[in-house]
Amino acid sequence: MASAPSKLYADDVSLLMVLLDTNPFFWSSSSLPFSVFLSHVLTFLNSILLLNQLNQVVVIATGYNSCSYIYDSSTSTNQGSDNGRMPARCVNLLQKLEEFVIKDEQLIKEGLREGIASSLLSGSLSMALCYIQRVFRSGPLHPQPRILCLQGSSDGPEQYVAIMNAIFSAQRSMIRIDSCYMGSSNSAFLQQASYITGGVYLKPQQPNGLFQYLSTVFATDLHSRAFLQLPKSLGVDFRASCFCHKKTIDLGYICSVCLSIFCKHHKKCSTCGSVFGQAQSDVNSTSNKKRKTPET
Amino acid sequence: MPQVRIIAKNFMDMVAALPAMKLDKLYENAFICEAILRSLPPLAKKYVLQMLCIEVPVTAKSMEEWVLPDGVSKHRVAIDRLIQLRIFTETVDRKRETTYTLNPIFQTNLKKLLLYGVVLPREPMPSNVTVRLPSSEDLEAFALEQWECFLLQLINSSQIERPSNISSSMMKIFQRGLLSQRDKEAPRLTESGFQFLLMDTNAQLWYIIREYISNSEERGVDSADLISFLLELSFHVTGEAYNINTLTEVQKNTIKDLADLGLVKLQQGRKDSWFIPTRLATNLSVSLTDSSSRKQGFVVVETNFRLYAYSTSKLHCEILRLFSRVEYQLPNLIVGAITKESLYSAFENGITADQIISFLQQNAHPRVAERVPSVPENVTDQIRLWETDLNRVEMTPAYHYDGFPSRDLFEGASDFARGYNALLWEDPEDSKKMSLVVKAENHVHMREYLSRQRQ
Amino acid sequence: MSCRQVVKRASYKSKIKDPGTPGVLTMTENKFVFRPNDPSSAAKFDVEFKHITGHKNTKEGTDKPPWLNLSDKDRCYIFEFGSFHDLHVCRDFVGNALAKSGEAAKASSAAKTTSEKSGVTLPDEQLSTAEMQLRMKLLQEDSELQKLHMQFVISGVLTESEFWATRKKLLDGDSRTKSKQRVGFRSSMILDTKPMTDGRMNKVTFNLTPEIKYQIFALKPAVHQAFLTLVPSKMTEKDFWTKYFRAEYLHSTRNAVAAAAEAAEDEELAIFLKEDAILASEARRKIRRVDPTLDMEADQGDDYTHLPDHGIFRDGSKDVMELQNELYRRTLSQDLNRQGAVVLQGRTVDVDLEDPRTVAEALMQSRRESDESAEQDRLDRITRMTEIEDLQEHHDHPVAQLCIKDPRDYFDTQQVNALKTLDDSRTGTEQKKCSLTTEEAYGSLREAISKIKSIGLKNSTVAPEIAITVLNGLTQNISSTKYQLGKNPQDSVLDSLPNKTKEELLHHWMSIQELLRHFWSSYPITTTYLSTKVGRLKDAMSQIYRQLEEIKQSDFRHQVSLLVRPMHQALDAAFQHFDADLQKRAARSGGETPNGNS
Repeated sequence: MASAPSKLYADDVSLLMVLLDTNPFFWSSSSLPFSVFLSHVLTFLNSILLLNQLNQVVVIATGYNSCSYIYDSSTSTNQGSDNGRMPARCVNLLQKLEEFVIKDEQLIKEGLREGIASSLLSGSLSMALCYIQRVFRSGPLHPQPRILCLQGSSDGPEQYVAIMNAIFSAQRSMIRIDSCYMGSSNSAFLQQASYITGGVYLKPQQPNGLFQYLSTVFATDLHSRAFLQLPKSLGVDFRASCFCHKKTIDLGYICSVCLSIFCKHHKKCSTCGSVFGQAQSDVNSTSNKKRKTPET
Repeated sequence: MPQVRIIAKNFMDMVAALPAMKLDKLYENAFICEAILRSLPPLAKKYVLQMLCIEVPVTAKSMEEWVLPDGVSKHRVAIDRLIQLRIFTETVDRKRETTYTLNPIFQTNLKKLLLYGVVLPREPMPSNVTVRLPSSEDLEAFALEQWECFLLQLINSSQIERPSNISSSMMKIFQRGLLSQRDKEAPRLTESGFQFLLMDTNAQLWYIIREYISNSEERGVDSADLISFLLELSFHVTGEAYNINTLTEVQKNTIKDLADLGLVKLQQGRKDSWFIPTRLATNLSVSLTDSSSRKQGFVVVETNFRLYAYSTSKLHCEILRLFSRVEYQLPNLIVGAITKESLYSAFENGITADQIISFLQQNAHPRVAERVPSVPENVTDQIRLWETDLNRVEMTPAYHYDGFPSRDLFEGASDFARGYNALLWEDPEDSKKMSLVVKAENHVHMREYLSRQRQ
Repeated sequence: MSCRQVVKRASYKSKIKDPGTPGVLTMTENKFVFRPNDPSSAAKFDVEFKHITGHKNTKEGTDKPPWLNLSDKDRCYIFEFGSFHDLHVCRDFVGNALAKSGEAAKASSAAKTTSEKSGVTLPDEQLSTAEMQLRMKLLQEDSELQKLHMQFVISGVLTESEFWATRKKLLDGDSRTKSKQRVGFRSSMILDTKPMTDGRMNKVTFNLTPEIKYQIFALKPAVHQAFLTLVPSKMTEKDFWTKYFRAEYLHSTRNAVAAAAEAAEDEELAIFLKEDAILASEARRKIRRVDPTLDMEADQGDDYTHLPDHGIFRDGSKDVMELQNELYRRTLSQDLNRQGAVVLQGRTVDVDLEDPRTVAEALMQSRRESDESAEQDRLDRITRMTEIEDLQEHHDHPVAQLCIKDPRDYFDTQQVNALKTLDDSRTGTEQKKCSLTTEEAYGSLREAISKIKSIGLKNSTVAPEIAITVLNGLTQNISSTKYQLGKNPQDSVLDSLPNKTKEELLHHWMSIQELLRHFWSSYPITTTYLSTKVGRLKDAMSQIYRQLEEIKQSDFRHQVSLLVRPMHQALDAAFQHFDADLQKRAARSGGETPNGNS
């Protein structure tokens, strides 16, 4: 899957886009404290930058209401150490992260919170893809990009279309999406993202050994992946979830305009607003005009 | 560019060849650990990283589980490298199972780097002490100029406007292998010298550094110290000033040489003096990587034997001048033509057609590099033809002997000449005419032999 | 295929069970004749192709012998050939013959009866030979498609047209590649049309073809304009062309003075003689468009044609510029330029050239359109040229094809998913119910960040014992996937089944998909045709359903049942819908009749 324009660059130079889930509602209920998670991730980022001077790391925070770039190793130059306590870049990152969290909180509208507290994965995925596209266009010399989703929140069904679009455009540009899912059950979105783009999906069995998972599996550059077998996730959940009740379904109704999926007949598509034809069964006693298609 | 790799590897071989005690001492310095880590093949880097938190031996079998059939040789190379550099310790236990452990000093140092960040051995000087620090562009320009100046001096000692402070004995060492000097003639570039010019700057730098280090023992400097200082230097921040008084005496001497190469810029303040590392220095550890990055090409060759080089470098111009006629020199463009005359002078200098062609191909401008072939076929063919033209006739001064009185004498003479390996031609046996041609240098022997025979 | 007659040894059967009468089949352009070897046999006949309404044949590679079945309204002729080669030759011939007689038979075929009752499939549309061949080709190329075709079309579950209707794209895609090459504008100089002179009489003859007329219109907008205004209101077409060639003749004599004199007398003739006003204005406009930095004066200075020993020779004499009577002169360079411009423009009209009037109008139309698009074209070209092409960056990046999933992947996942549901239900309890308010949640997040800020990454390393367990766990995961699924990690659950079962399952899956596609697309049922079709489909599906049940009884019960489950589910849904719909229609049929055009 080596892309043609990167031939001139060293094989193992990576551009790692890290999507960091900062959904407060997930982390306050998670068995792994956010501080532990974050410190493992920071150590991992340090190690990526340690491996090769040309390696580049960009961190995008995926919040509950917004997402934002919080770190880019190509623009921040200070390498040193912050009084020997931790690498200086981490201080920068934490500072930006804190600002981001505060901003994210301000955006929240009280009372709007509902059962599913998913984070804005579609937004950060799109930002990552845009960044990579810019890198692609910067000339024939660029590092090999890949995306790593560090996600904990459950899938937000309302983002289904946006996320699937992002996944397909990643696949088309030959960008791999790795995902490390910290939540309790599997994330169908990320499973599909990694499956379709040829990345790795992993759900750590021992969350407190996160750094070990990251350094063993996700630190592997694209060049080395040709020689190594990485964990293969079996049982990718290809089934789409319906948009109305977030149920995973085998058979359903599909909007012919935006391909949104519903588990039962609706008068109007809740995603794109297309009005479906009246079910003829009422008038003419023939069956639904909206055709069912087996979902595969 | 395969040569680049060879030289970079050679340097690591040099490190690997250090005695175990010295190597362990090197690893006590976190920078060395980082530089060494970066020089490893990609797979080896990954192995080090995944062993970072593990303190018990890991079986070779479990590591092989991960390797795909395609990757077996890469895996082997990576492991060998790690063992060679004493980063991995291999043990075979009683059950004949091979296990690996990470060098504990190396491990601790890497962990420290990850958790606490890089702590430089010296802090940059505060900006109120160091006035008039050069801008990054100036520094870049300085480094390039210095390096090019050094290279020009290296190839062509006479043409230099402003000779650097590098002692001529040092220069001789650098020139060893790159230039060949026949007595009284101007030194000429050897084949490897030409190849040296074709490498990218970092690779050239490492070549020179390697020569510098291998020569260090003669100057009474410990090579391990020198290696560790150079690697340490590569982690300093470009453009920051560092007090020279933080250096040891040996290092102070070294840094003066490095300034001549353009690795650092020295400045003198009112009280202190300081050095400013340039990009050349900070790139030292980058260029050690096995998969070295290649610089972008700049040459476009047309089918009409014209060549356009998008370059501002004087050095490039010099290199092109080796085998082409440079016609115009514009601010960012050199226009030249490959002519028979220019090529003949290149061939005379011992540059081969293949070297020229591979230089043109390797430095092809990205826009033409995609094309196959990147250099027009008619040009490459013609370059080769002109080279073979020169090789068609070989001149050997010789003497022609004929009018032998007897067949015996003739055969005896020809055997004698053959004994000296000097017989170039003799009449076929059935021919009535008896004549032979012998190299001129053996004429004396021949004459002696013939006069002896006549008696 | 161009041969007019085919003679083959074959045996004739009136029914499939019939043992057959050996004999010789002779096919000619419009009929086929069968002569049995035994002259006493009654099975001799002589049928014209125009009565034949359908033909089909058995496929090579099946267990059936090479049969060709030709059917007319009330009987069918089945021929068994010695080899498939003979069959193919005859089939192709019949296809051709049918296509030829097709036009004649159109009327009769419109009234053809549907063949559903007999269960024999007939093409219910007359297909052109090309289309038939395309379908054959598609079937031959895709063995899976061929299998489906065999299974459903030959057995009568689907008709030929129903089968292909869902694959319009396949048929289209192929025809698009074979698009006709457009004929360009002729590059030979029409302006050089030389008259034929009769030596004895004082008469010149010009040859005029529709093609030449079109070329004249395209090259000379003034003539074109004149034609539109004068013909037929003021003069006949014949007069028009006579006048035109009179002017041409004058030009060819290079007698500018004479031309000027004649033009003064006849104002219509003057149109042809004078400089083309439309072209001239166009030329002026073009000059205005030229980049102002271009030094036109200098270019004009390069014109040496008027100097001695310079100039263009044409027909042995020099093409000289005369300043006098310039209005009535045309230079070769002008002609060449105009010709070149029109040729580059290409053929802009695509109408029958026979009627000059329609040609003239169509050309006018296209000229008006091109004016707008030409401007755009020019701008595009400029933007493309501004960057030096030599060093231009790429504008496109390599992209991969969007992947279309292999149905195998779907099977693969279902097994693990089934196992996983157990897993998930166990781990699902791990998550604590989030009971914090928004502020508290965000607060705890910020707290975590500042905690790291204060203490650093000190305790972020993984304890060695945990690290080794994680590594061992991952290693085990990798080796287990390797050995569970065979040596190759790309192998799937499906591949662990014996080959025969695997093939069977995949084939059933394909069949089910095909049937379901037809099934669901026939709803709502508005015609009797659709209801019979649905019935047919349902029968076929229940047959497959039973076959699936049988496969489930095989040795690999566990894996197979997991794979079969989604298929059964899909079929069940279809059956359910069928029954519900049937009941609804039965309940209603008392009152109204199903109306097709609702």
